[in-house]
Parts: sequence; C-alpha cells; structure tokens
Amino acid sequence: MNAKRLPEGGLIDRSKPLWFTWDGKDISGFAGDTLASALLAHGEGVLGRSFKYHRPRGIMSAGVEESGALVTVGEGNRTEPNVKATTQELYSGLVVSGQNAWPNVRFDVGAVNSLFNRFFAAGFYYKTFMGPPLRGRGNGTGVWMQFEKLIRKAAGMGRASREADPDTYEHGHLFCDVLVVGSGPAGLSAARTAAGAGLDVVLVEQDFELGGDWLNHGDKSSREKRLGLLAEVEKAGVRTMTRTTVFGLYDCGTAGLYERVADHVSRPESSHPRHRFWTLRARHTIVATGALERMFAFGNNDRPGVMNVNAGRAYLNRYGVLPGEKIVVATNNDSAYLAAVELSRAGAEVSILETRTTISSQLMRQAGKAEVSLSTRSAPMNVRGSRAVTGLDLAVTAHSGWVAKGSEPCDLLLVSGGWSPVVHLLSHRGVKPVWNPAQACFLPGETSEAIQMAGSAAGIWNTRDCLVSGHAAGARAAKALGCDLPQVEAPVAGGWKSAIEPVYEISVPTGKQKCFVDPQHDVTADDIRLAHREGFVSVEHLKRYTTLGMATDGGKVGNVIGLALMADALGKEIPEVGTTTFRPPYTPVSLGALRGRNVDEHFRPLRRTPMHNWNLEHGATMTMAGLWHRPWYFARSGEGLSEAYVRETETTRASVGLCDVTSLGKIAIQGPDATEFLNRIYTNPFAKLPIGKARYGIMLRDDGLVMDDGTTWRLSETDYFMTTTTAHAAKVMAWLEELLQTRWQDLKVAVTSVSEQWAGSAVAGPRSRDVLAACVEDPSVMENEVFPFMGVIESVLQGGVPCRIARISFSGEMAFEVYVPSDYGPAMMDMLWEQARSAGGCLYGLEALGAMRIEKGHVTGAELDGRVSIDDAGLGKMASPNKSFIGSVLRKRPELLREDRPCLVGIKPRDPGETFNAGSILCEKDKVSGMGEGWITAVTHSPALGHWIGLGFIRGGHEGWTGKTLVAADPVRKGNIDVEVISPHMYDPDGERMHG
Amino acid sequence: MADRASALLGHYHPGKSGAPGVQGVPGVFLQEIHDLVLHQVSAWPDTVDEVGRTAVNAIGGKSVPGPCLAEEGPDAALLRIEPLKWWVVGAEAPGMAAEQGTTLDLSHSRTHIRITGEESVSLLNRHLPVDLRGKAFAVGSVASTVFHHVGVTVWHSSNGYELFLPRGFALSLWELLVETAQQFGLEVV
Repeated sequence: MNAKRLPEGGLIDRSKPLWFTWDGKDISGFAGDTLASALLAHGEGVLGRSFKYHRPRGIMSAGVEESGALVTVGEGNRTEPNVKATTQELYSGLVVSGQNAWPNVRFDVGAVNSLFNRFFAAGFYYKTFMGPPLRGRGNGTGVWMQFEKLIRKAAGMGRASREADPDTYEHGHLFCDVLVVGSGPAGLSAARTAAGAGLDVVLVEQDFELGGDWLNHGDKSSREKRLGLLAEVEKAGVRTMTRTTVFGLYDCGTAGLYERVADHVSRPESSHPRHRFWTLRARHTIVATGALERMFAFGNNDRPGVMNVNAGRAYLNRYGVLPGEKIVVATNNDSAYLAAVELSRAGAEVSILETRTTISSQLMRQAGKAEVSLSTRSAPMNVRGSRAVTGLDLAVTAHSGWVAKGSEPCDLLLVSGGWSPVVHLLSHRGVKPVWNPAQACFLPGETSEAIQMAGSAAGIWNTRDCLVSGHAAGARAAKALGCDLPQVEAPVAGGWKSAIEPVYEISVPTGKQKCFVDPQHDVTADDIRLAHREGFVSVEHLKRYTTLGMATDGGKVGNVIGLALMADALGKEIPEVGTTTFRPPYTPVSLGALRGRNVDEHFRPLRRTPMHNWNLEHGATMTMAGLWHRPWYFARSGEGLSEAYVRETETTRASVGLCDVTSLGKIAIQGPDATEFLNRIYTNPFAKLPIGKARYGIMLRDDGLVMDDGTTWRLSETDYFMTTTTAHAAKVMAWLEELLQTRWQDLKVAVTSVSEQWAGSAVAGPRSRDVLAACVEDPSVMENEVFPFMGVIESVLQGGVPCRIARISFSGEMAFEVYVPSDYGPAMMDMLWEQARSAGGCLYGLEALGAMRIEKGHVTGAELDGRVSIDDAGLGKMASPNKSFIGSVLRKRPELLREDRPCLVGIKPRDPGETFNAGSILCEKDKVSGMGEGWITAVTHSPALGHWIGLGFIRGGHEGWTGKTLVAADPVRKGNIDVEVISPHMYDPDGERMHG
Repeated sequence: MADRASALLGHYHPGKSGAPGVQGVPGVFLQEIHDLVLHQVSAWPDTVDEVGRTAVNAIGGKSVPGPCLAEEGPDAALLRIEPLKWWVVGAEAPGMAAEQGTTLDLSHSRTHIRITGEESVSLLNRHLPVDLRGKAFAVGSVASTVFHHVGVTVWHSSNGYELFLPRGFALSLWELLVETAQQFGLEVV
C-alpha cells in the first residue's frame, strides 16, 4: 500500500501538526486526523493481528465498524486496549501500540497459528478438549482446563491495565423534545426542521465533526451545504453534542448516551471527567444513523490494503490522504463509482471490477471521463501478498457461478458489497428489521413508538433524498408534539440508477484461501458452512457457535454476509433465516462511564449521624450498618476489638455507658386516628397506651411472619413517636404509607420519617439515671416515681436544648434513650459524657450493644430475617387474641402453628473455653449432615457469664434439647464445636436490673 | 442555648475552586443556609383547601400552591411536597386542631443548600433525574426527586435552586456536589 498525504485538500488543519508515537516510533499528523488517517498517511500498513490466527491486519474502514486496526492507546494506568484507530481522534502526545502480538504486529511469533489454521475452525477448542476421555488421560474437561490457559494466551485482543483508573467519570440527565441521532444530511435536516418549529432539539454525533457522510464528500458544493445547514441548526438553537454515541434506546423515549469528554487529549483537565454516561429523555426520537458499507467474502479479503470503498473516499476527501497508487474498486452497486472517479482524479490509477453485467450509461460515462477502467461481471477472487496487497486473482461470472480469470497488480483494494442501514437503535426497542431484496439489506421495521428512521438509516442512498427524509421526519415529530407544520412525503428506500446485485461471496470451485465473513473474530465462510453441516442452522446458534458478530464491532461488518451464506447453505431466502437481534451498546461503553462517581467512598451514599465527628474525636472505630457509619468500639490504648467491647460491656453493666443510637428508624405518627392505626399494625394492644408511656411492639407482615419490632411513645392524644430497627426503617415507613394510601384511606393519620430530625443516645447502666438527672434542667423529672420503666418525658437539657427521653432498655440494664433535635447532637453528647465519665462510665459501640442484647436474648434483624413467626421468636404472648391486626389471620395457618418449628434459643459451648461462629448449623451429635436441626444467628463473648454465647433457632425450642450435646457445624471455617442449647434469656432473666 | 451544629461542619470551606469559569465568574455558587426553620403541615382529604389557606396565610402568601409548586411570602415560603402535605420554610407552622390537620417540626431533618450561577441546572442534572429546563421547572416549582439514591427535595425559588438534603446524607451529597461543580468553576459562599 503506497498511501501518501496529498499536498492539499481534506478537512484537516495543516497549520496544526500533532506528534504521536506508534510502537515507539515518532510520527506526525494534523489536527482533524484520526489515528488511522495519520498512520495511513505515513504508509503504515500492518496495525494489528487477528484474534485467532494472528494474521496481519490493516485499516479496513474509516469508522466504528473497523475490524482490523485495533490498537492499544495510552500507557500505565491510562492504557486502553481495543481502540479502533479509525475513531481515535489524533492528539499531540498520543501513545499507541500494537496488541495481540509479540514482539510486534509486524513480526508476530503468534502468526505460527496460521500454519495450523485448518485445525482452528469454529468449535475447535470444545470439540478437541472437552470431549470424551483422551486416550485414558483423564476426562475431557480436565484436559480442557489445562489447554484453556494456553488458548487464552494465544487468542485474544488487547490487555487492560491492572492499575487503578486515575480518571473520574460522571453521569448526567438530559431532557429534550426531539433527540436526533446522527448529524449527516438527514440528521441536520431533521434537527433544523424540528428546532425551527420551536422545539427543544438535541443533536448527537459520535464523530468529533458534524456532517456525517458529508464529511467524506470532496466537492465544494457539498461542503458549502454542510456549513450552511450547520449554521442554520446553530441559529435554530439546536443543542449539539459531538464525540457522543447514543448507544441504546430504552422505554418511553429514554436514550443512553456515552460522551467521550477527554479521549482527544492526553489526560482530562483536572476538574473534568474523562467520560460521561447520559440518560436522555426525549418526547420524540429521530434516528439518522446512516448506513455501513459491507464487503463480500473472497480469498484473503482481510489483508492490509483491503478496505471498504467509502473508507477510501473518506481518507481522500476528509483527511487528504491518497490511500493507494494503483487501486482496484470491486463493487456490486452504484455507490462505488463516485469514489473511484475522485480517487482517479486525485492521481491514483483506478480500475473497477463490477459484478453486474450492465450499469447505467451515466456511470459508465463518469468512469470513462475520469480514466477509470471498468470490467463488468468481474470480482476479486483472491488477494495476493501477506503484509500488504500486491495484486488480485480475478474471477468472472460464468453460467453456474464464478470462474478464475487472470490477475491484476494493485496496492489497494476497495470493496463495496452493498450497504446495511444502521437499524441498531430501533432493534433495541424490539422492532425486527425487514429484509428488502431490492436493496439487498435490512430496512427498519414499523414501530408505534415516537421513533422515526431517516436518511440512509431508512435505506435512502442519495444525499438529496436524505435531506428530504430528514426534513419529513422533523416535520412529523413537530406535528406529533403539537406544532402546526406542513408535512412532506418521506422518500422511499433506494436511490441508485441500477439495482444492486446481491453478492456475498466470490468463491470458485478450486479456491482454498480463507474468505473472511467477520474478520475481527476470524470467522470465515467455511466456518458458516461447517456450522450448517453440524446443525447450528438457527441464526442464534450460528452466532454462538462461530462467534460471528460477537466482537467489538457487534456484527456490523459480517452479519448480513453470514446470514446470506447460511441461507444459501439451507437453500432458503435470507428473511427465512432471520437476523440476530442487535442489543445495546451500539459501540463499546467504558465501565468507568457506567460507574460514574459511584466509586470509593461514594460507591453507596454514606449516612452519618450528627455525632459522627464527636464519636471519631472520642476514639471510635467505625463500622457500616446498612448505609450508616456507626461506632463499632471505642478502643483505649493497647486494646483491640475484643478487649474494647468486653470492657465496654462490663463498664456499662457496672456503672453507665453511652451509645449513639441515632440510626434507629423514627417515625412521627399523627392524627385523630393514630391510635387506631397503631392498634391495627401492632400485634399487641395500643388502644389504651397512656400519654407519657412507651410500649414495645411487634408488627407482622400480611403472611403472619414478623416484619419489625420497636417501641412507640405516646406524646399526646394524637401524636406518637415510633422507633424501628435500623435495618428496617425505610421498609416500615413505606409499609405504613402503603397501608394508609391503599387500605385505610378513611383513617386520618399522617406518617413522616423523623429519623433525620432526632439525634439519639442510649444511656444504660445502674448510674444512667444519675447521669441524665445531672443533664436535664429539672432533675426531678428523672425520679423513679415520676419516670418509671417505659415512661416517656419531654424535657429540656441544660442550656435549653429540648429533648425527649424514654426509659427503655435494650441492654438489660436500667436505661434510657434520649433524643434531641439533630443539630444539638454533639452538644448533648458533651453533656452526657461529662457526667458519665465522672461516674466511671464509658462510651460503647455496636459490638458491646450486640453483646448485651445477646445476653438478654433480644432479637434484631439477624433473627427477624423474614422466616420467623412471632411464636418462633418467643414473643407469642405479645399477639393479642382480642383484636385483629395485620397478620392476625395468617399467623394461625397450620404451618406457623407446627410445634416443631425452629424457635429462638440461647447457645453455649460445651467446653467454656470454646467459641463458635454465627451462621453455623446446629446438628445432633451424630448426625452432622444436611440442614441440621437449627442455626446460629449471633454470637459474642459474654462478660457477665464468662464464656462464649450465641442466639439461634432450633426445632421445637430449647426445652426439648436441654442437657443434650449438639454440634455447631461450620464446615468451611471453624469445623464442629460441641454446644448446648439453653434459654435465650441468659442474663437477668427476670429483668430486675432493668426495673431497678 | 447551644449552637446548632451543621451536618457540613468541618467540611464547608468558602472560596473558589475548580475551573476558572467564564471571565473569572464561577459557573456555580453553593451556599449552606444555616439554622433551617422547616415545619410540615399535613391535611386530611376533606381539609386540604382549608389547611392550604391557613398555611399560605401563615407565610403571608397569596395563593395556595398546588402539587409540585411553591408560594413565597415576604419572609417564608410554602412548598407543596405531597398531595396532603406542605412544608413551611422559614417560619413556624400555624396552629391547627387534629381534626383539621397536623404540624411537625422538621428543622433539623434537612440540610439546606442554595445553588446559583449559570451552570446550576447543569450541576443539578449531573445527579437529579428531573427536567429542570426553564419552562419545565420555572421559579416556584418543587420536586421530590433522587440524588445518588437518596430522596431529596428541590425547589426553584426566586433566589436560586434550593436543595433540601436529609441531614445524615448531607455531607456525602455535599462532597459530590463540590466534586462535580469543579468543572464549572465553583465558589462556596
């Protein structure tokens, strides 16, 4: 290939040279070049190696359908493999290297694969290595496991960096009246018409220049028209986005956009993301995505120097590169002639191989005038040369197919086997394309959605008709959105003088060369026929068996040829074989764009309590509880988790401890019917809860299983303050809303989450009352007589901070929960801690909280896991027999009344020095198998008892297992530990300390 | 009384950062409105009109805002945030009998961020899936929406875009706002 940059012409900016490196070599190009055009201008032929056979590959196209020039861009942590050189915008400092080759793409040791290519047909690996035992050397799968490693090394594409990505990415949302996809003549025309009608239009273009096919035109008139229409589009207020791909269309006018913000610079500006993933919602969508030129299959049609005709035209007219000196143009349709003429006029020696017998006289005249020689009924049969095209073996049509006839030297072969409209986006909506035999392509099917196809995406082949098509689509969109605009008839598919001749393969009976259908995945015409012989005749099976259409081009180049060959093998027509369904994304989308800013600390939203900083300043080690950051333990010097939580538990039980309990769910329940509402959702009676008292309540789901538990405080006749578990706060809130909005619309009750309004601290231990009494402005409110167990007061802390306090206990000690408006949280903690510290108290975290509740046998989300009935949890007495409540009927179904249901129990090790894990299965001593008899939900060291304890569930409850040795089986971690089952109330079972 | 501690305490750094903006003017200004006073007013289906009038009188406004709308008074505003609920921003809630409706102090439940500048909508739409284009979200519009999986309220007031973030998530969301705003040029006021 003797490509060269022409002294003038093209849309590149010759005043801005750009330097880049290709495999360590410094090369220059110009602003406006793609990597492919710059490499081509320097005569670089071999840019890649093929997936399986490591065949040398060069530039095959000038766009997103590229299958040959796949390269690796960037270095270190900014390495990006599998970049199409044809779409990579050139920039100064661009570092590019070849991939899937060693030592380089020009001399690749892996090319030895080609010598064995007859063994590497479709399905080779599986048939060879996964079959029956191989001569007694183990079974096939075992052999496969060994060979797979080698195969994976030998085959493949580029390698991603293992370093962390240094760039940022983001998401965004866009809204518009009309989305126009593609900025060719049809797209620009559609955008101008829709925006001219006053609509808000977004025009999206994957290229870095607007204009679509117009960019490939060399004539002055086309350039003027493009610039004129661009000016009109801008004036009409169209919002244009370049370097952005609409990669998918989804329900209700939603489109997924992938914007490459900084792939045209060596690194993003520090404050800018590299890529953006946009979700765009449009009322109407116009798809003007153009069409892609196909090749046909013939021998060695993948050699560097074989590309589609339109690419030749693009390199000439857009980039000012004459891609060859002696060019052969092979075609079966009219579209190739203009390119041939333009290339000839630019100085190349051009000849046309035309498969058809006759063409229009106008085309013949044009070719003749430009000194382009023309051979009809002719086509290339085989390409000569390995790293570059040196010539062609030709074939001509005979009465029963193709026969070899002569050869022709050349350095570039341009092929046009017809055009495939880009119907991908409509296909994403489940609309099957329809085969059009006259145009030899799939055309978009009908849709009832607000989506229109325009231009060559609708099979319209000439620019004038594309402009009309775009205008018609814009006018229809405007009308659909309520604008009064004159409507015009959209042109029908077609536009060539002479009909295309459907040709998909040039094969002669003696030909043994590889004829590629999908060059990117090394799928050949013989692979398709092999699939047919082996019964993979469904198009979906064909795809998966041969990997046709599975590479990064997603079947853009090879799918139609593959279908045609399968149809031929089956003796059917193409529509009878079907088409594969195109799925998003249209072109690859970076994982970074999909992740956006949801990474590291922002992987999930992080929820902090108002005392977050206070806790950290006081030595907290934090842990995640759902989205909340909560104190786990407050280690003193020399302490780890175990020492800290044991000390915290002991100190709390001996004097007093403070614990941030803000994360508990809190719901305000207000209104004249609030009492009735609570009485219906809780299992226990709430109708007579006095003002100033709290009650522990259990709520069930409709199916009779436990949903959540917590306390509800009565603040006034019509005001309640409900607390829920941290884990179920949102679920309970949504459940209450659902009940009020759907079942009990007659109840005058308002529920509002106040979890964020109140900061809470537990004050637990025998000295808790003293601590609080020193903190409230009026200590008399804390006296035992006026503030009994389950009492509630609203009071004021020192300094005038309003608070509400309930005397409730999770720890089993005399304890209070005190809440203040959130912004006063740190002030409250300062006050409480000053008193607690002087009382010899401590701060405690989630681990000590858990230890104390396990000692008491109190349940949490670990136990209330959605399988547990109120009786299973040992709380059956809380289910009132005298009222209806949610779940009251279904909790009595036979399954939930079975006496052998797993019930809550305490567990201790047989050997007091042993420990066991949560998640262990409880089994009978000699039957450690299967599902066992129960399971362990929570474990801790019990400072009060001096040994390890746990909570769990076992069939029938603890009475039947008293005195027996069971096994806590934990096969993947700790193994089997002998345990005993005891009552879950392991500490102060009568609650004397709590009431003290 | 003790000072109110903002959820952004220690993380709120006034000053400019990020891109230079246009002619040195940052595209986005972020400001925390301290000491939020926010009360919720709830009505029953048969008292919506009556409660709405009571609430709008309390802020000195003229008309009762319908769904997704707000009414500004001289010193306070009324936001319709649910079919049966309003928020009074900047004033106490009016007194009300339980049969008429309920009121609730939510002043500490939200962190109030004001967003102004040419790129306010661009910034917000990097996170909020709500149509904030001029006609769709004019001054006086209110939306309950989502910001990085968290339910938030956004109001287009005469002062700019007002974001009400649940207090526990506020710092996490603030970090995202500041980080995202760098590309437009940011000034924290």
